[in-house]
Order: sequence, then structure tokens, then C-alpha cells
Amino acid sequence: MSDFIVHVTIMSGLYALLALSLNLQAGFGGLMNFGQIGLFACGLYGAAIAFQFDLSAISGFAFAIVAAALLGWAFASVGRNLQADYWGIVTLALAEVIRIIATNEDWLTGGAQGIGGIRPFYFDLDSQTRQIAILFTVLALVLAAALLCRHLIGGRYGLSIKIMREEPQLAASLGYNTITLKRQLMAVSSVLAAISGFLFAHYISFAGPEQIDSSETFLIWAMIVVGGLGNNIGAIVGAFLLQFAFAFIPFVKDWIGLPTEYVAAGRLFLTGGGLIIFILWRQSGIVPERVGGGRYV
Amino acid sequence: MFQFLVDVLMRACDLMLVAIGMSAVYSLMKFPNIALVQYAATGGVLAIVLQKTGMPVVIAIAFAVLLTGLLAVILNEFLFNRMLKIGSSTAMIGSLAVSMIFSAGFLVTVGPSPSRFAMPLSRPVRILDARITEPQLLSFAIVAAAIGMFALLYFRTDLGRCMRATSTNEVLADATGINTARMKTIIVLISGVMAALGGVAIALKGEVDIQMGMDLLLPVFASAILGGLGNPFGAIAGALLISFAETAVTAVNFGPLLGQVVAFLPVAYASAISFLLLVAALLWRPRGLFVSEVKRV
Repeated sequence: MSDFIVHVTIMSGLYALLALSLNLQAGFGGLMNFGQIGLFACGLYGAAIAFQFDLSAISGFAFAIVAAALLGWAFASVGRNLQADYWGIVTLALAEVIRIIATNEDWLTGGAQGIGGIRPFYFDLDSQTRQIAILFTVLALVLAAALLCRHLIGGRYGLSIKIMREEPQLAASLGYNTITLKRQLMAVSSVLAAISGFLFAHYISFAGPEQIDSSETFLIWAMIVVGGLGNNIGAIVGAFLLQFAFAFIPFVKDWIGLPTEYVAAGRLFLTGGGLIIFILWRQSGIVPERVGGGRYV
Repeated sequence: MFQFLVDVLMRACDLMLVAIGMSAVYSLMKFPNIALVQYAATGGVLAIVLQKTGMPVVIAIAFAVLLTGLLAVILNEFLFNRMLKIGSSTAMIGSLAVSMIFSAGFLVTVGPSPSRFAMPLSRPVRILDARITEPQLLSFAIVAAAIGMFALLYFRTDLGRCMRATSTNEVLADATGINTARMKTIIVLISGVMAALGGVAIALKGEVDIQMGMDLLLPVFASAILGGLGNPFGAIAGALLISFAETAVTAVNFGPLLGQVVAFLPVAYASAISFLLLVAALLWRPRGLFVSEVKRV
């Protein structure tokens, strides 16, 4: 049982990184990114492709970071004069294009079978100790990412992206170049998503197109809305809450004695229902955004 | 050649009604309702289920379409109207949540296996050396009739005039004595009915499974956005363009270009190409090809 808890905690940590990244974009910057999983895919396939072509994990990591930052930059550039809802659909479409390419370019990505057998981290440790080591690595990274986000948001940069979210025209009139701000924000937050994907590939030892389905993006959205848009702690809380809830759905199913389809249905109900309930009755989420305060320059 | 045109037209028929519904709803409600693709799936699935209970096909379809329209109104009244008070982005995420609940509902009630209308098999008819089946003709007729009726209502009746007035300038329409809240309810009902008819038209041609709604999401959105969200008849052109791109990419032999005899792109790339077409079109015209909204300074 404790192995299981460790596994769920690691998964929650990886999703927390994705949620922190999306929260930077959507919560603080007001960017409706529905293609978050495409940025995750850069990390996932960066690790997998480096492994497949016998390159070192470091070069895979470098490739993942650069690809994600460029993709994030491209997302922001495409959206430079689009309305929020148009941009949301465009990012969704681009993430889907990435998935289609990953499914069909067998020589590069292994196609629908994906790439398996990726060498896990801490390879020489026995499996129990390795799990614990990975757990601490992931938790440390989540902490580091949260501190980075707090640092970014607490300073002048945080103020500028918040004013861009609330009053884009006022931000422009104060001399902020909103397009540059968006590009920087997307590039920085993409790196967080890519790190999550890179760790995911090495943890699960597998990268396949079903892991980068758009439904994952919607799940990350549910995490940040439930946890609290515009609050870093909220993003982490939301990721852990939903992952742990998901992990226990199969047990509830066995306990009540329902057929297997109900597990998938239960996840969808939980995600959709959670979103609706929080949007209607507690818009600020579990941990609301803090207005004002902090160290302002 | 004629076969190619028929293929384009048939694919466009799949997308058109739902895309028109989406655009129509956007013109008054000012948010893209993702749940609309699930209304289409509901229409198709419900009609098949009703037919299985022993109803004649026509009555089953009529019931399914009306029930879906009512469902659209109810959801709008209790969820989307409340979410819209917070903001259009929130309403968009809310409609995403609603469509997740739909997916879960389908999984539990209908199950994952596909279903189809019980209809006698018929030999395809040949028109100008293109093969067309009777169900294809029937579904084309349904789509054409629905578009015709909607065009008449939109351009030739007082109701349509009120709708157009509300979509152009809601405050002014309200001041001239138009009941804008009622107009919104009516357009939501119409969009639900159109989407359900679109779903029925797809179901007539083949099978319906519970993934249908989510599979429609991006092509339908691409059509509606390409045509300019809020302009229902732009969506027709959008749907034709998207289906043309999808069909052309897979039907054109790239062999001579690459110095080979035959070289076709994999079918899976059809949708990728149409999404890239959408992105390219938006770079050039950020609000779609045919914008009907008046932009004020």
C-alpha cells in the first residue's frame, strides 16, 4: 500500500509542475492555453527520442527545454493579435497536431506503440530505494518551481503580467510591450512543463501518444481552477487533490462492485463536476489569489 | 473528380450544422460553447436509442432533436448564464466541464461500443461516376433543409431580424424594445436543434460512438472560427474549406514532386493539415475570414 501512495505522490508532483506552469500562464497572465500538453510532449519525447538514438539523458534534457521554450514562444507569437477564445482553440489545435505527428512518425517517435524501456533515474539502486529517491527529487523540484513562480510573481515582472491580464490597454499605455511579456511568460512556463514531461518519461519508462491527449490539458485546467487560479499553492493543492481522488476511484468501484467503464466515467465526472461546482460556487478555488501584498519593487 | 467533390461535400455536411450552431450561439452569447459537439452526439445517440424502442425513424429523430434542444436551453439557463456573469473565458471552461460530464454520461448509459440506425442496406447510386449511398443522400437532404430553414428564419422573419439586431448591438436592441433574454433562449434552442440534427446526419451515414462529440470538437471549431465566430453563414464556408483541405491532402498524389511514382500522406495527417490551415488563416485574418461583427474604436 505504501508503494502505491509513493507512486501517487510522484504522479501528483509531476502534475503539480504542469499545474504551476499553466497557472503562471492562465492564472497570472490570463492566457487561455488549451495546448499545455503540447509543451509537456516536448519534455516527454525529448527524453524518449534521446534514449532511442542512444544519446545521453543530458542532451535529451537540453533538447526538451529548447523545444518547449521555442514552442511556447511560437504559441505566444501566433496569439499576438488573437482574442482569448480564438487563441485557446489555436493552442488546442497545435497540441493536437503535435499528437498526430507523434502518432505517425514511426522512425522518430515509435508511432502508436511509443518508445518503451527508457532507463529510469537512479538505475543502480534497488526498486524500493529508487522510488523513494525519485519521490524526493520530484518533491524538491516542485518546491523549487513553486519558489521560482513566487519569485517571478512577487516582483516587477509579476505586476506587469497581472496588469496585462486585468487591463491590457492600460499595460500598453504604461509602456509595457504585451507581446514580449506574453512570449517571455510562455517560454518560462513551458520549461516547467517540459521538465515535468522529461521526468515523466524517465519515471514511467515509456512515452506514447496517448499520454499527450488533449483530455490531459483539460485535467490540468481542472486542477488549477479547483485549487485556485492565480495562486501557486492552489495549483499544487489542486494537482494533489485530483490525483489522489483519481487514485482511489478504482477502490470505490470495487467496493460498490461496478463494471470497469465506471472508472473512466468516474474520472470524467470528478473533473467536470469539480470544475462546474468550483466555477459556480467558489470561483476563487480552494486557495484564493492574494491581491496586493508581497514584495513590490 | 466528381467523387472528390462528393467526398468534400459529405465531410462538410458532418461539420456544417454543428459549426453553424456554434457560430449562432457565439453571436448572441459571446462565448464558444464546447458542449455543442456533445449535443450533436446526444442527438445521434438518442435517435438510435429511441428507434430501438420501436419508434419509426422519423419520429425518433424528431424526438431526439427536440429533447436535445430542450436540454441545451436548460443547461444554458442553469449553468452557462450564471458562468457568463463571471466572464466569457469562465463560461468556455464551464462548457468544457459540461462536455466531460456528457462523455461520462455516455460511458455509463450507452457504453463504449458503437451503434447505428437499423436501416435496410441499399446499393450505392452512381451519379456522374461518383458512388453515393442512399443514407448519404438522405443526410445531405437533412443538412440542406436545415440550413435553408435557418436562413429563412434568420433573414426573412421578424424573429431573425431581432436576433441579428441583438447580436450587433445588445444594448441598443434592448432599448428598442427587443426582449434580448428571450432572443438568447431562442438562439440556444436553435443551436441545440441544429447540433442534434448534425449528429443525426452523421449517424445516418454510419456508426455513432461516444467519442463522436470530442472527435468533432476541433474540426467544428476550426470551421466556425475560419468563417468568423458569430457569423453563422461564414461557418458554412469554413466547413467547406476545412473539408476541402482534409480531402485534398489525402487525395493528391505527391509522388511526382518527390520523384516517386506514388506518395500519399497518411490519412491521419488530414486533420493536422486542416488545423494548420486554421492557424495560417488566423495569422492573416485574426478574427476569421468573414467577420460580421462591427468593430468599434
